[in-house]
Amino acid sequence: MMGLLEWILNLLLSPWLFVPLIYPGLISAFAVLLFIIWLERKLAAKVQLRYGPLYVLKQLGGVIQLVADLLRYLSAEPIVPDQADRLAFIFGPILLFASSYMATVAIPISYNFYAFRSEISLLVVLALTAMAPVFNLVIGWGSNNKFGLIGGLREGFLITADEIPLFVSALAMAILYGTMDLVRMVELQSRWLWGIVLNPLAAITFFVLMLLSTSRFPFEIVEAESEIVMGPFTEYSGILYGLTMGASYVKLYVLSLLFAILFLGGWEPLPPLEFPGSWLILPAAVLFLKALVMMGLSVFMRSVYPRYRIDQALRLAWHYLFPASILSVFLSFVVLMGWFI
Amino acid sequence: MSEEEHILELLIGPQHPASGHMRLVAKVDGDVVVSLRPDIGYVHRTVEKLAETKNYIQIIPLVERPPLADTANHNLGYVLALERLLGIEAPPRAQWLRTLLAEMTRIHSHFYGIGIHGIMLGSSTAFMWAFWDREIMIELAQRLTGARLTYSYMIPGGVRRDLPPGFEDEMEKALRYLERRIPDYHKIFFDNPVTKARLEGVGVLRKEDAIRLGIVGPNLRASGVPYDVRKVDPYCAYPELDFNVITREEGDSLARVMVRVGEIKESINMIRQILKKMPDGPILEERYLKMIPPKWKDWMAQHRRIKLPAALISLRPPKGEAVARVEAARGEAVYYIVSDGSPKPYRFRVVSPSIRNVVLFEHLIRNCRVADIPAIYGSLDYFPPEADR
Repeated sequence: MMGLLEWILNLLLSPWLFVPLIYPGLISAFAVLLFIIWLERKLAAKVQLRYGPLYVLKQLGGVIQLVADLLRYLSAEPIVPDQADRLAFIFGPILLFASSYMATVAIPISYNFYAFRSEISLLVVLALTAMAPVFNLVIGWGSNNKFGLIGGLREGFLITADEIPLFVSALAMAILYGTMDLVRMVELQSRWLWGIVLNPLAAITFFVLMLLSTSRFPFEIVEAESEIVMGPFTEYSGILYGLTMGASYVKLYVLSLLFAILFLGGWEPLPPLEFPGSWLILPAAVLFLKALVMMGLSVFMRSVYPRYRIDQALRLAWHYLFPASILSVFLSFVVLMGWFI
Repeated sequence: MSEEEHILELLIGPQHPASGHMRLVAKVDGDVVVSLRPDIGYVHRTVEKLAETKNYIQIIPLVERPPLADTANHNLGYVLALERLLGIEAPPRAQWLRTLLAEMTRIHSHFYGIGIHGIMLGSSTAFMWAFWDREIMIELAQRLTGARLTYSYMIPGGVRRDLPPGFEDEMEKALRYLERRIPDYHKIFFDNPVTKARLEGVGVLRKEDAIRLGIVGPNLRASGVPYDVRKVDPYCAYPELDFNVITREEGDSLARVMVRVGEIKESINMIRQILKKMPDGPILEERYLKMIPPKWKDWMAQHRRIKLPAALISLRPPKGEAVARVEAARGEAVYYIVSDGSPKPYRFRVVSPSIRNVVLFEHLIRNCRVADIPAIYGSLDYFPPEADR
């Protein structure tokens, strides 16, 4: 009996199962989803002189409100419109959510705990996250709704405008560290300085583009409620809607983890504590906290900014953020030269 | 591609988060709105026809319903027309109390408009703040009149209640709070770079167009026309009040919002003046006051309110017609009554500010972006039930 338990525990703790399934993969992605939406509503409520979610588990300020919401989504009927493309309509949200969280497999938790270590793990993360918005286009087209179509097209315009500078500013860090291996990047940061100090321009550009590509305020353009109802997701109901709504938060989670690794020193510095399992829990917790701060900052923008128009967002991305990301590459070279001189 | 193929007809509303009780039929070419036609009438409540079946006093609650948020000004417009028909005039204190409630209503109506505009641009903070700060004036109006929004406070010949005890101090507290609050709105909303980008130069209404189209209210004053019924054709206590007509030259969406903000500040000053200068005296016209039985007089003095005399309930104005206009929060409101000597009006006509501003949808929302539709709509402070009546 004990042997079986130990076998299961070992299996779960093996990196190639733990990373995609537990942390930073599926289970923690769901937990983050539930927590960050609650946090967003609570932060906005604080600014707006309200209580926010409160009554579900009142002792902890309604922290499991989103569990109740999830149950409601699960029990609601997902209605598929007659005129919609059934295949695209049903599989769109599933693939959107799946591809959003898939990139977590390439994110390492510590120096020796990762699903796989690769020379190009940065590229893997970026490529997988860039896949998700394509399904927004599919959804917008498949739901056969004018608002959905406009929302899908907006997403199409924004993909090219945000993913390219996002890639470039991430690659600026790769140039700076001389590697695309995320584990090695953290190692170098613990020896030098955090990425945000070495190349602040890339950090700022990356953060703004993170908001843009996950449609957070002030770039909540794809779902702009007062303009196009819910953009590509207008026709959705039930758990299919839940998936579409969760996908952008999961993408935010992945990009926040990446931000923490690229710019905030990843799981460094570790607190000098020793307890059973600390080799896994401590670095995971440090990385998680840093990502959580970034996520909190991103969702807080809701209470500060209205939303930009799409042409203004595109102008911002192409005229300012794209040149800024190119400049950050040069800044990386300058820092490197300064280092060697 | 032919012309029709790349133009998409977008039906915004009536089931749409930001359409209000109306439908906007937009023709969209890519992201550019080629033309937009407002389809109004979804909340038409036959106020004018219904009024012909009601006693004069019963029409007071009726005229308050369509322009919700801006109830007192419309109540005042109707009562002024009725008083002209009856040939009476309210005593001075009643006139000042009417002005007080009209300005309080203007403040909370403007906050309502600013809040709705905020959420249309995506700023939920502006929405929540405005709806909370509006609550302060509503609470004070409730202490004065007994109702939150549909006050039915002004009756022919006077008002229903006098100031409650301690009202001046509470009001002063509220006004100080509002004055502290307006800079916060500037920080989070009006001076926000995103708001500026969304509103500046969007939906520009030129001065000559504004005059030609017969626009009223803050939308007209934002285009640089200093037209305000309170100055042009003063009524109640306005001739004795010192206030400015807020105008702007730009005529864009931001100017329209800033005119409302300026008017909130002016209203705050006016309420201070009103409470300082308000004369003493009765709050109902002498003729009706005499009809109240003596046993009610003590009760009236004790509760500082009016016992409605029976004569008011079945008013029979002489044959004739009367018209009155007031500056409501959204613009000039005109009330017109034709009486044939019976207890019910022969014809009743309301020209609300929103119906006069509805033409702006077609005029302003053209060759702009899809995202500009809610930005311009919100800046007009257009309220469909008020237009449909």
